Amino acid sequence: MYHKSKGYKIFSFFNYICLILIALSCFLPMLHLLAQSLSSKSAINGNLVSFWPVDFNMDAYAKTFRNTNFTGSMQISVFRTVLGTLISMFVITTAGYALSKDFRGRNVLMWIFIFTMLFSGGLIPSYILVTKLGFKDTIWSLVLPGAFGAYNLILIMNFFKTIPKALEEAAFIDGASFFVIFRKIYLPLSLPGLATVGLFIMVGHWNAWFDGILYMSSTENYPLASFLQTVVVQGSAQSMALSQSEAAALSEQSIKAAQIFISTLPIILVYPFLQKYFVKGIVLGAVKE
Amino acid sequence: MKKTGALLSVAVLLTGMLAGCGPVKKEGGSTAEATLKDGKYDPPITLTIAKQQDENAGKYINGESLNDNVLTRWGVEKLGIRIETTLLGGDAAQYNTKLRLALTGSEKLPDVLPVYDTSLENDLIQSGLVKDITEDINKYMPERLKEIYKEYPTAFNPVIQDGKVYGMPIAPNLTEGEVMLVRQDWLDNLGLKAPTTIDEFEQVIAAFTNDDPDGNGKQDTYGFDFSGKDSYNTGWVSDSVMIFSAYTGKHLPGQWYNEDGKLTYGSVADGTKDALAKLRDWYSKGYLNKELATQGAWDALADFTEGKAGIIIGRPWLYGSVKDVETNVQGAKISAYPTISGVSGDKTYQSGQQNDGVFMFNKDFNNMEAFFLYYDKLYDAAFGTGDFKYGYAQGYDYDIVNGEVVFDPKAFNTPLDAVQGVGKMAFTKNTPSVDGPGKSFYDLAQGVKADTGVLMRSAANDPTTSAGYVISYENRDVLLPNAFNGPPTKTMQTSWEQLNTMEKETFTKIIYSKEPLESYDTFVKQWYEKGGTQITEEVNEWYTNAGKVDVMTNMGLK
Repeated sequence: MYHKSKGYKIFSFFNYICLILIALSCFLPMLHLLAQSLSSKSAINGNLVSFWPVDFNMDAYAKTFRNTNFTGSMQISVFRTVLGTLISMFVITTAGYALSKDFRGRNVLMWIFIFTMLFSGGLIPSYILVTKLGFKDTIWSLVLPGAFGAYNLILIMNFFKTIPKALEEAAFIDGASFFVIFRKIYLPLSLPGLATVGLFIMVGHWNAWFDGILYMSSTENYPLASFLQTVVVQGSAQSMALSQSEAAALSEQSIKAAQIFISTLPIILVYPFLQKYFVKGIVLGAVKE
Repeated sequence: MKKTGALLSVAVLLTGMLAGCGPVKKEGGSTAEATLKDGKYDPPITLTIAKQQDENAGKYINGESLNDNVLTRWGVEKLGIRIETTLLGGDAAQYNTKLRLALTGSEKLPDVLPVYDTSLENDLIQSGLVKDITEDINKYMPERLKEIYKEYPTAFNPVIQDGKVYGMPIAPNLTEGEVMLVRQDWLDNLGLKAPTTIDEFEQVIAAFTNDDPDGNGKQDTYGFDFSGKDSYNTGWVSDSVMIFSAYTGKHLPGQWYNEDGKLTYGSVADGTKDALAKLRDWYSKGYLNKELATQGAWDALADFTEGKAGIIIGRPWLYGSVKDVETNVQGAKISAYPTISGVSGDKTYQSGQQNDGVFMFNKDFNNMEAFFLYYDKLYDAAFGTGDFKYGYAQGYDYDIVNGEVVFDPKAFNTPLDAVQGVGKMAFTKNTPSVDGPGKSFYDLAQGVKADTGVLMRSAANDPTTSAGYVISYENRDVLLPNAFNGPPTKTMQTSWEQLNTMEKETFTKIIYSKEPLESYDTFVKQWYEKGGTQITEEVNEWYTNAGKVDVMTNMGLK
């Protein structure tokens, strides 16, 4: 009965304290933001808001949802996340399936993929490539360049490798082709792994802001994260030439708070549904036969 | 066989990618055919532009967008000029990155490029992709604009190279100066007057700290609120430069000053040490913002807005950003005063901005006439003439209700704060103005009737802000533009960052009493040793070169 020992009790006591503190440090900023988003402008400017709204009102949310830039960006982000995840999952699973087999040239291919993990061309070549391909100002500039991630490929590939070879052989005997085996055996059996990698990709797409700003020449085409970047990260010392109206807009902290809060919600909502796979996915992925 | 195939495809792929890095293709410049008839192009021509646009400036209404809005439509209808934004950046850093990427030649550079960074301006000139416009200015710049540009010859400095002019300042015009915002109710409670000298200033902030000005029986207030995070000369809000200038005169921290033809750096000027000694004394007595070194200019406002601090300095519109204290705290009242005078009895100085970036042009762009036609029209709003007599568009930045022009957002359906500043739908971040540091407010105070858009808009402001602008105009001689506005010099590129960090750290540590006052002398010595001497030389060399060729005459601006 190890968990009855005194040492264990002390350990778990401090363990809980630590975990609670960590949880609070994640939760309190969100709570502060929520309180700000529900408070009046003057209360925020005066530093009066901590974790409870002062002069409760929903103006910030009303304004945010009336802002077509925000709602438009939200739609683009949702579309981008769905499309980007589908494309990524397609290329990664098909490549992962093929690479989990033995064939000639596999190591060379693998080496090429790994190479991209270690070295990248950098900003300028990527930019030239994307513009020359004519992807500028289109959704493709957001979903295609990062579609194939070597890291995710390795995760999926290792997951596929853990599936018993015998299963595949039995299917062959029953007359199944590679594609049927991939679709009917590998994909269903590796749902936890797919969910894990899918979540990585999804969150990545949802939070990516730099590519949106880089490749879009119109703010209406910005995904939500890029939009928020331009709204929130401002008021630096460089804004010397700020005009009166801009200065007034800068202090609309409640709207910023509302926008940040709304933008984090979708991904928080998706998370619980994937979490059961998430835990399993990581554990299974680590087991070797 | 398989292997060769794979190799071949890789080779094909590589060649394809390399081809993308080839020489810059000549494109554009095809707009020269359209003719100008009665001030209108027929068929309409297109000017492509780059633009830095802040989301905070508002949003488009009525389903409008960046390239299709009330102002672009106006351009097509009235002038036959279509403005199309082909390069867009959100904040300054992103915008600069995108401009640099455009220099790779992977796409066509827009015709008109507003550039806000001197080092990027220099890179653009070096790249050979921007146009020498000396002749064009002479030929096409309308007379009323020439009158304005004549007054700001040094604003051209960053874009002059070898006697040629590769750009022009955007709407040169001195920004408004800073005023001192003081808690009037605190002054009244303690029976004090607004300070006009450094000694009076010290008495007031001491009283604000120790004598319980808000009468709540607790010692929870302090005197002077400013930010030292980025610079001790912020130039817009939460500024402390007044204290330095009180001892150094025209030598401001972080800024170059032209003393009898030689440029010197303000942070190492005589008197800076006295200013630091003063601030150090005040800080230890609790008169200053405790977190001054960690709060950026904008964040430092919070204490004042909260009702903890008594004095803050900034541009006149700062009142609008801190007036919430009058809602939050019962009886609070803010008044605007001029900044104090220095120990020598002279006024205190502050940094003034004479333009916001420069316009540069694609070297293949050959329709400067169209650009100037459009640019001149934008000035209508500043002069109160033509189509923009009252504002840029009815129903956007003004409206006519019952035959009267109104600027009050509540008086018409479209709430003003939601509209993307109409003028900003054109080329630049800010709209042209000829108002100087608040001339319209001064004129109104002198009893001039508000009959142009500019005057009416000024008249619609609250009394405290207006008072601030009047002060700013009356004291406009305290505004000093930085004498050095060229690209970073050679030594600056390698050691300016270090010198700046050293400066900031030394100043802050002295104020915080973490280092003795004498470490300022060590700093000055090291500043010169670690590149300062060299930089001063280079800066002066740049200054001599900038003034060598009389470009103003070549541009017809004399």
